[in-house]
Amino acid sequence: MSSTDETLWWVAIIAGFVVVLAVAALLSLLIYFVKIIDRRVAGIRETLHDAAENTQHTALIPETAGRVDAVLAEGLQHHLFLGRVLGKVKS
Amino acid sequence: MTTTLVVLTVVDIVLLIAGLAVYLFWVGTLLARIAANLEDCAETVRRINVHAAAIVPGVSHINRTGGVVAGALPLLYGMAEEIVVGATYTPPTEARPPARPASGTRRSRLHDAVGFVPR
Repeated sequence: MSSTDETLWWVAIIAGFVVVLAVAALLSLLIYFVKIIDRRVAGIRETLHDAAENTQHTALIPETAGRVDAVLAEGLQHHLFLGRVLGKVKS
Repeated sequence: MTTTLVVLTVVDIVLLIAGLAVYLFWVGTLLARIAANLEDCAETVRRINVHAAAIVPGVSHINRTGGVVAGALPLLYGMAEEIVVGATYTPPTEARPPARPASGTRRSRLHDAVGFVPR
């Protein structure tokens, strides 16, 4: 092997190590960012769970509407009763 | 010398492949966890959407019925007023005097403390 070939080989080896180090650095950066994403997604998941707990009782709203309808029906009964007895009990 | 170069080349290649493998496995694990979390988030959002679907019709219903009730109450009130005349509370028109204690004004003991006797 000539001296030039040997020199070129050494250059290639050193360049290879530099590439390995650069790849490691870039992948470390990627891991760092992915970890940030992971942490924030976990936070979003917790927030959404809290929101779901807050909204899980909305099924009571239609029930409340039914009860308000019952109040209206009862008020109409009172109205009918008062309409019937108004002429008899006027003071 | 050639052997050293070959060994260093092999080490270089092995380091590159091993490093890539380790980092990609690590990233893969993290991404799998993120995917699971996002799937959970999507499921939770769907659940919240289902919960929220009942809000607008229910509140509209309550609003409508509440309006009818509020409109009907004066009718009932008027009929009751016709049955019992004068039962309606009328607030006093004069301004009320300030409230005085029923026990009267209390004597201050500060005068005794300093030996003062008011006439």
